[in-house]
Amino acid sequence: MEGKVSRASRKLEASPIQELSQLAQTCRAINLAEGFPDFPAPPHLKAAALSAITGDFNQYRHVQGICHLLATQMKGRHGIAVNALSDFVICCGQSEAFAASIFAIVDPGDEVLLFDPAYETYESCILLAGGIPVYVPLSPPDWSFKKDELMKYFTSRTKALVLNSPHNPTGKVFTRDELETICEACKIMECFAITDEVYEYITYDRELHISLASLPGMQERTIITSSLSKTFSVTGWRIGWACAPANIASAIRNIHVKITDSAPAPFQEAALTALQSPPDYYCSLRTEYEARRDYVVQILSVLGFQVRFKPKGSVFIFAELPDHCELSDIEFVKKLIEKAGVAAVPGCGFFHTTPQPQDGEKYQRRYIRFAFCKSGETLSAARQKMEQCVNEDGQLSF
Amino acid sequence: MILSSPFTASVAHHYEMPLSLRSFTSLNRALLSSSSPSSLLLRRSSLVPTMAASTTTTVSSTDAAPQLNQSTPSPPPVQVAKRLEKFKTTIFTQMSSLAIKHNAINLGQGFPNFDGPDFVKDAAIEAIKAGKNQYARGYGVPDLNSAIASRFQKDTGLIVDPEKEVTVTSGCTEAIAATILGLVNPGDEVVLFAPFYDSYEAVLSMAGANIKCITLRPPDFAVPLEELKSVVSANTKAIMINTPHNPTGKMFTREELEFIAQLCKENDVLVFTDEVYDKLSFEMDHISMASLPGMFNRTVTLNSLGKTFSLTGWKIGWAVAPPHLTWGVRQAHSFLTFATSTPMQFAAATALQTSDSYYEELKRDYLAKKAILVEGLEAVGFVVYPSSGTYFVVVDHTPFGFENDVAFCEHLIEEVGVVAIPTSVFYLNPEEGKNLVRFTFCKDEATLRGAVERMKHKLRKR
Repeated sequence: MEGKVSRASRKLEASPIQELSQLAQTCRAINLAEGFPDFPAPPHLKAAALSAITGDFNQYRHVQGICHLLATQMKGRHGIAVNALSDFVICCGQSEAFAASIFAIVDPGDEVLLFDPAYETYESCILLAGGIPVYVPLSPPDWSFKKDELMKYFTSRTKALVLNSPHNPTGKVFTRDELETICEACKIMECFAITDEVYEYITYDRELHISLASLPGMQERTIITSSLSKTFSVTGWRIGWACAPANIASAIRNIHVKITDSAPAPFQEAALTALQSPPDYYCSLRTEYEARRDYVVQILSVLGFQVRFKPKGSVFIFAELPDHCELSDIEFVKKLIEKAGVAAVPGCGFFHTTPQPQDGEKYQRRYIRFAFCKSGETLSAARQKMEQCVNEDGQLSF
Repeated sequence: MILSSPFTASVAHHYEMPLSLRSFTSLNRALLSSSSPSSLLLRRSSLVPTMAASTTTTVSSTDAAPQLNQSTPSPPPVQVAKRLEKFKTTIFTQMSSLAIKHNAINLGQGFPNFDGPDFVKDAAIEAIKAGKNQYARGYGVPDLNSAIASRFQKDTGLIVDPEKEVTVTSGCTEAIAATILGLVNPGDEVVLFAPFYDSYEAVLSMAGANIKCITLRPPDFAVPLEELKSVVSANTKAIMINTPHNPTGKMFTREELEFIAQLCKENDVLVFTDEVYDKLSFEMDHISMASLPGMFNRTVTLNSLGKTFSLTGWKIGWAVAPPHLTWGVRQAHSFLTFATSTPMQFAAATALQTSDSYYEELKRDYLAKKAILVEGLEAVGFVVYPSSGTYFVVVDHTPFGFENDVAFCEHLIEEVGVVAIPTSVFYLNPEEGKNLVRFTFCKDEATLRGAVERMKHKLRKR
């Protein structure tokens, strides 16, 4: 029967990450690995969901009102004018929106550009669609790329570029300058852009998220994907969307209908409430996350991590191991779990390229991703636990 | 690579995907240079070979040598993937719009106009209040996996490991997509029975499968065993079964399942079986292929909450399969949706633990509804084919003198005010379904009676 498993899955091995995950559970480690909150979802949202279930919104549906609210937001925040009736596809999370978008535009053999480091799932979707992922490395410590270098990664087979901003795992927010470079390249090469903007409301230091589609000439070639999950701390509700010009949205919708057919009905209803949250909500979201970011940056710095790039957005910090540390990221995280009882994610899983000579060979094994979408108590407890494992210089050492 | 909570990254290892297919990108660009989006789509469809019983949609022998033309400024690019040929706007949407326009009673759409039981809704409410609103474990909340395993054991006698053999997905639709995308390689032969639920063909083509289609024919839609045997070989990767069957209501008999099982064992073939209507089995007992001797190890059994508990919008489905097949399903699932709605999973666990009396009452209710519809359809003059399960009935509309099912359905909406679904959409070759339409009886009794009255008064034989 072994021969019956698909070629793709046969090549995959059990990941060292899975072992770490199991270790974390066995050690009951404080989890700063997972990118979802351990604090409750906003009360007004939960109430809306309860009311939807009781109000019998429980059969297949498409809640058009969501599209109108999103369209208004896009116009207000980014100056992008979209058609609420034709340009949206409501999906089971941004995950499905992205998968459906890839399947809608990627043919076997098409190349898709990704910035490296990258969230792992993008590549898997592209490969499943028969596409070829091509990675554009972002150089440490500030995860920048050279303008003139970007064009070298495009070929006549490039179908799309994936842009995740604010960025997981680095916390980078692509600047207007960088977006303009990307914009020019996409226009010259006549390719699509697919954006993942799930952290769009989580930016710091007055940095604003700029939507790539708002740049001249980009709307017609951009598929925007995002979701409620991170903005509203409801990662388990699976409400996301794709927004694109009508004919592309139609293609995405047709795929979506065959993959899941409908996003969970009562949560679509609750999304109406979420998307009508007052400006205050978004302000507090940002302020509270910024406080958490600052706290974690401080702790990690004191513990000896090199935080040469303070995240400008997202709920992650990508910290470099202390200079003196000779362990790899995986080895370090293993010790962190076993000895300090705190879990984080080794950065190597996010890298896909061969390091450039100027960046040094080893940096891809030197980064750890910490999530700070956790309550104050959790973060404080994590700090205390890590403080138990410091050497005479006060630095984390195993 | 396994995406398991809480670690969402994995060590990068590059696995080989079969990339033996030609690139269509340059062909896309050639088509792009001087056409508007809609004409592009029309032109693209003329390049796809006409559907035959066996087809692949990812390689086309009609590709011309493309010319890269970048000198002409192009309109907004419509470079949709070739696989979109199979992903058109569905007939359901079209019929629904027409229905609303004419205020028609909708017996086309396959979901209830009544809601699910309070005890299940209450469980979801409790879960939301208790804060179960973040990502669930990718392959399912442990409570639900266990409840699925228990239910499966009660139904089939098979003991399965909830951790290794059960995967929760966003509805059975996603379970089907994950199964096919996770286990079928481009070029693999898959046997499908027509008429079929429309996502099967679409997703199989997305996976690049070579579809071999066997048509089930009225009056009893029995499996043509010899034809099936002639089509199955050592090259066959999988056979897809849907029992109880949408749209016909047919239920695969033990003899049919044993015949298929024998072919599968002789030729080392997998079975993907969609059993969402298993609790709506009226005229005979539902039999799961997985429970036949020697079949569990090669079967993926798919099911969901929605039909059984009248909560179709919750999107809770699952796949039960041996570990080596579950692996592929989970891989694809992790890229398609990553995780399934958390509070609904907790509620689903509660639902599945309910006593048998729930299912008995469900059947009684549906039998009463079926009686109203079937008697009505017969009185009106349709040829009504016996439906053993599901909440669908197919009928022959030809006594009313229309040339095909779409024309009949349009007339039914516009002049009579009732919606049915033209079944030709469920066939690879639409001609084969043109005499049949599908009615559903998952509506409250008043609605069903109302529809029957309209048809009695306004539908006339020509």
